[in-house]
Amino acid sequence: MISRAEVVRMAELAMLELNEVEIALYQADLNRFLQSGAELRKVNTQEVRLSSHVGRASSRMREDVIQRSLPQEKALRNGPCVVDGCFRVPRVMEDVR
Amino acid sequence: MTGYEIRIGLEIHVELATNTKIFCGCAVEFGAPPNSQCCPVCLGLPGSLPVLNRAAVEYAIRAALALNCTINLYSEFVRKNYFYPDLPKAFQITQDDKPLAVNGLLRYYLGDELMETQITRLHLEEEAGKSIHSGESIIGSEYTSVDYNRAGIPLAEIVTAPTMNSPAQARAFLEQLRLVLQYAGVSDCKMENGSLRCDANITVHPEPGMRVEKVEIKNLNSFRALERALAYEAERQVRVLERGGTVMPETRTWDERAQKTVRMRVKAGAPDYRYFPEPDLPPLELDAAWIEEIRSTLPELPLEKEARYQEAYGLSTYDTGVLVRAPQLAQVFEATVAQGRDPKFVANWVTGDYAHLARLGGTVSAEHFGQLLDMISSGAISAAQGKTVLQEMFARGVSPREFVAEMGFTVIADRDFLGKVIREVLTGHPELVERYCNGEDRLLGFFVGQVMKATNGRAEPRLVNKLLVEALAEGRNWQPRAE
Repeated sequence: MISRAEVVRMAELAMLELNEVEIALYQADLNRFLQSGAELRKVNTQEVRLSSHVGRASSRMREDVIQRSLPQEKALRNGPCVVDGCFRVPRVMEDVR
Repeated sequence: MTGYEIRIGLEIHVELATNTKIFCGCAVEFGAPPNSQCCPVCLGLPGSLPVLNRAAVEYAIRAALALNCTINLYSEFVRKNYFYPDLPKAFQITQDDKPLAVNGLLRYYLGDELMETQITRLHLEEEAGKSIHSGESIIGSEYTSVDYNRAGIPLAEIVTAPTMNSPAQARAFLEQLRLVLQYAGVSDCKMENGSLRCDANITVHPEPGMRVEKVEIKNLNSFRALERALAYEAERQVRVLERGGTVMPETRTWDERAQKTVRMRVKAGAPDYRYFPEPDLPPLELDAAWIEEIRSTLPELPLEKEARYQEAYGLSTYDTGVLVRAPQLAQVFEATVAQGRDPKFVANWVTGDYAHLARLGGTVSAEHFGQLLDMISSGAISAAQGKTVLQEMFARGVSPREFVAEMGFTVIADRDFLGKVIREVLTGHPELVERYCNGEDRLLGFFVGQVMKATNGRAEPRLVNKLLVEALAEGRNWQPRAE
């Protein structure tokens, strides 16, 4: 079961600010996900190989050939704040507490 | 510091020298205008899909083989999730529990002692974008500008076992690692451009083996920064322990200006990154024959070369060290010696004047360089003239034979003429002659220098030496040394 503290930690990692109502809501939702997942335990998987991917595709590689990039202004188009060809964001350093 | 055991591990990121990024065809070029080498894949735009660059895999395998790793024929890519503005997708495609290569080993010298450090793993991942912090450093910056040209450049991440015991050892390891990777031709490894970066973790144990928390240090942009940051951090942790405190697990940054480490954040644990298999990339399955093909193209590596130079050519540790650390010098040395010249004579010139001039820029072909050395060793020109000729060869690309003929460089070995010059020099410095006669032998070098100067470096130095000693001996006979 997912605890309230785990929900708070996940919100922190996702940089989401949750109020008490939301924390309770997500805790219940996440626990319902786990319950659904738990259903799979009923399936017999003894003969099934461990896999990380759906299907049996193997790596397809491309040759190291340069392709045209987006023009700079197009690359920057979605940026809410653009200065001197760069995306500008608030400072990233955490306050040293 | 005595009584404490220091354990250091390094995590090195190397940008692989491909033409394009790891998952898209955007060019990789240092110094291009910001955000001009980006596409929907490396900007993380919805609907874009990664396709693995074969050359990135090949370079990573080369690096792993040069570091004596075992290559896993099956490896997987995963998503490492974290929010940081330099990561456009909010996850990094990397490898976790099934990396490309494991169990390597690097041997290197710390002073005269041969050391070895285990390489735990080498894996492939994508580079993040570049954050440019306003102000003078990350500390106290107001905002951050992000350039995604770097996002998606292929990286090999190399992790060592935490078994190094001193900052000096960590530095020696990193220097040798860089050299090996340069020899393998997988990266230019320029720390100043960030194509080789190093994070270090360090623990200080009051008693060997005692469990303590790990501190990670980032922002180590030079060998000197690595060594100094580790030395500072070791001392800081000892101070904390001696006050009865506990060292906190955290990530610190090296502040170059203040020459100290500063706390950045509490260390994120692996669960916080919520790794999971990258659904857009199938597992990487390699053909053993391809790996052997790559292995067969690996050149002789630095430590082997060093041993060969000492054994086959009888070179000193100093000369081999200089040659091996600068592959282009080693190349000139070998090509010049291959034509049957004396290895020690060639090594002296390569590690001396040639190395000095090459550092200033340019190269001189082994063929021309060999011709110059032949003229010096046959006595056709003096060593001093040889230095001038070599300078001109670097500056203007002249052929040594033509230049010597053009300048009329010849060696003066005429005893009568040199005798006359020597008399003039000695007459010009009566007090020094007296001091020499009273036993100051080292003044001989000064007189030789004066004669060389008076002849524009054209006098045959061995003859000058001989004639000077003779002339001065006469002086000593005139003025016998006081008993």
